[in-house]
Amino acid sequence: MSERALEGVKVLDLTHHISGPYCTKLLADFGAEVLKVERPGGDPTRRMAPFLNDDVDSEKSLVFAYLNTNKQSVTLNLQTEKGIQVLKSLIEHTDVVVENFAPRVMASLGLAFASLQKINPSLVLTSISNFGQTGPYRDYKAADIIEYAMGGLMYISGGYDREPLKHAFNQAQFKAGTDGAAATLMAMYHQRLTGEGQHVDISIQEAVATGLRDVVNNFTYTGAVRRRQPNHSGDLSRLRASSDGHLIPNPGIGTGLNWGVMVDFMDLPELGDDKFNSPSARLVNAEELGQILDSYYLKQNKYERFYAAHEKRFIFGVVQSPEEVMADPQFEARSFFVDIDHPALGTLKYPGAPFEMSGTPWDVRTPAPSLGQHNQEIIGQRLGHTPEDLAQMRANEII
Amino acid sequence: MPGPLAGIRIIEMGQLIAIPFSMKMLADMGAQVIRLESTGRLESYRSDSVYKNDISGEFWNKGANFYEQNRNKLGVTLDLSKPEGLAILRELVSVADIFSENFTPRVIKNFGLEYEDLKKIKPDIIMVSSTGYGFYGPWANYGATGPATEGAAGLAYQTGYAGSDSPMMSEIPYTDYTSGEHTVFGVMAALMHRLRTGEGQFVDISQTQATSATIPEILMDYSANKRSGPRMGNQDTVMSPHGCYQTQGEDRWITIAVATDEEWQSLCRVLKQDDWASDSRFADSLSRWQNRDELDELIGPVTSTWLSHDLMHALQNEGVAAGVVMDSKDLLFDPHLVERNFYEVVSHHESTGIPPLPYAGRPWKLSKTPAVDGMAAPLMGEHNTLILGDLLGKTAEEMAALEETGIIGYGPTTPRPVQRPPLEEQVRQGRMQRFETDFEEQVRRTFPA
Repeated sequence: MSERALEGVKVLDLTHHISGPYCTKLLADFGAEVLKVERPGGDPTRRMAPFLNDDVDSEKSLVFAYLNTNKQSVTLNLQTEKGIQVLKSLIEHTDVVVENFAPRVMASLGLAFASLQKINPSLVLTSISNFGQTGPYRDYKAADIIEYAMGGLMYISGGYDREPLKHAFNQAQFKAGTDGAAATLMAMYHQRLTGEGQHVDISIQEAVATGLRDVVNNFTYTGAVRRRQPNHSGDLSRLRASSDGHLIPNPGIGTGLNWGVMVDFMDLPELGDDKFNSPSARLVNAEELGQILDSYYLKQNKYERFYAAHEKRFIFGVVQSPEEVMADPQFEARSFFVDIDHPALGTLKYPGAPFEMSGTPWDVRTPAPSLGQHNQEIIGQRLGHTPEDLAQMRANEII
Repeated sequence: MPGPLAGIRIIEMGQLIAIPFSMKMLADMGAQVIRLESTGRLESYRSDSVYKNDISGEFWNKGANFYEQNRNKLGVTLDLSKPEGLAILRELVSVADIFSENFTPRVIKNFGLEYEDLKKIKPDIIMVSSTGYGFYGPWANYGATGPATEGAAGLAYQTGYAGSDSPMMSEIPYTDYTSGEHTVFGVMAALMHRLRTGEGQFVDISQTQATSATIPEILMDYSANKRSGPRMGNQDTVMSPHGCYQTQGEDRWITIAVATDEEWQSLCRVLKQDDWASDSRFADSLSRWQNRDELDELIGPVTSTWLSHDLMHALQNEGVAAGVVMDSKDLLFDPHLVERNFYEVVSHHESTGIPPLPYAGRPWKLSKTPAVDGMAAPLMGEHNTLILGDLLGKTAEEMAALEETGIIGYGPTTPRPVQRPPLEEQVRQGRMQRFETDFEEQVRRTFPA
């Protein structure tokens, strides 16, 4: 197997929860050497549900197991002088530090970028935070829903006459984690060329606000404020219920809509009527059209229609449940789900490479580490602390 | 100011968002991005949402979405259905570092533009393809849109109001951005590898796959426990209150997320609800979560007496996570984003009649190598002479012949503007919440050229 893309990149990972760990997971899974520094109680994600068999055990959190593949774990109490001292000796030998504390924390620990640069002049420090390292909301708190709201995605999502709705899960955190990994590599690219380090400031709010298409420019171009769209039942590309779930017909996108071909495809000759065979007629009779389409799709099997549509190069989409995602023949052909063996979780299928690179592998060398699994190896052997030192640090709750 | 990617040349054969957005991010950071487009097959973002809804003149140089996705790029027109056009594309690849595209694999194969083909022209080329389902596999040639891959990935399934039997999906091509963010990372990983080894490679982005990688909460749960939970709307699996609540005004909302007992007490204090603070149903996080529906019903009527910004600041000052559900105007003029210079003012070519306007920047700030100064997206064919003449060395006669035969051009061969309904009508249809006639003045005041 050839070398990994990020071979030789050394990352010290001070992150917790989701955004930071996803950033360092991307780096680790493509070959960077990632050392995760956890507080003695561990990354709080270790206590995040779901767990295997609902067994609330800090080694059995499934999201933690996913987010921390290919990382080593040491524990360090950064509230102690000794802990900071050990951390600083680790920083001397790394390329990158990634952290996602609240913006005041690093400085309060004596770890502001200017101080770290004195230890390691070519260091790249990546800081991921809710609202960035500067500005009036710098110290505001957030959760994913707050970032959705303040990043502008929420106002345009959900039912027209209901409260705005966020996506399920933690999408804002994942966006910021991905952006953090990309920006870290931009800084690393510069570091490899020039030897210069720098500070990378990632704002989760801005990660959301960067991907809104025409929300803001509707205002700058016309003065209009876009809102959640009304649900027109005659809208041809609207999500429709099928006998076994939901599908998303998008006739006309890419191919130019030929109504006659669509009518044949659905085998609904009544739609050939003058009431429906022009865009303006379909607008006038939208409600009746919507009813016909609703009752038609309710009788269909979503995959049968999905495959039939693509035979004709209509762009149809299908809403897949987790069970269906895991049985998806496309994912199967691309070996997306991979088996990972973990001491506490056994062998499970995990979502794998987010994309493929032809010349350098994405692979899992090690499962997520247990808490402090590498204390001995890193703090003992690499930094040269004696077994007595380690015992002392353990007794003083530093590791 | 030079960005960290100064000296990298990218040829972009992109459309709409997935690749154009990713390449914009790299262009912002200093890469030279040469964007190819067809005069025969007009990109829909060029002709839709035009400035002031005015389709007169060269409307194809006035589209909001085109400017949004193509900042800092150079524009070249090329008819790839003709062998001379393809030959020029190959010449460009021979002097490029990266070739990027988001067509279906069928199209790329027909053009003979697969990685193996390009490698013969430029051995260390990095090629990146972004497709709905990936470059190989049984669904490889299926066309896709953002909603289609949001559905296939498993994200749409779980999103929706509590108790609803219908999934809900984004109103923008959401997964174009999720995959786009991964594309930027993938290109950087390939560049790091090339820097160390001199080797190029092929980066195969599946928009579905990148999105599925961001939902371990449901996929790992199904994998391990063979189950998936119900749709939860805005509620959380642990926190309560956690939701979106009405505030004063039409369609105004605030989000609140309470994680600890201390934050709960602060919330009660700010909302002046002493009886909630002592109510045993809400005494600890577990009981609040168990009684979350009742709690949500109590909160809405109280928050609806507040202005959303006032309430956000009041709650945040007491340590409670709260955020205004920002509409486009809130976002554009948000004092925090403005102070951080998130928006960048870009000047447009005078022929467009568009004044300098602010556009969203990037989610990162690099202290030593920030972005280059923003340049507007290209007019159609704006850089034909610069790239084909100066870079590839075509003579004036050759350029004239290319224009004569329609290989290059400066406008669409069949102009078909899209006339959107007047704003009054869009508001009546519910597509827009409102419009403000003095928007130019408002924009100019906060974002002077």
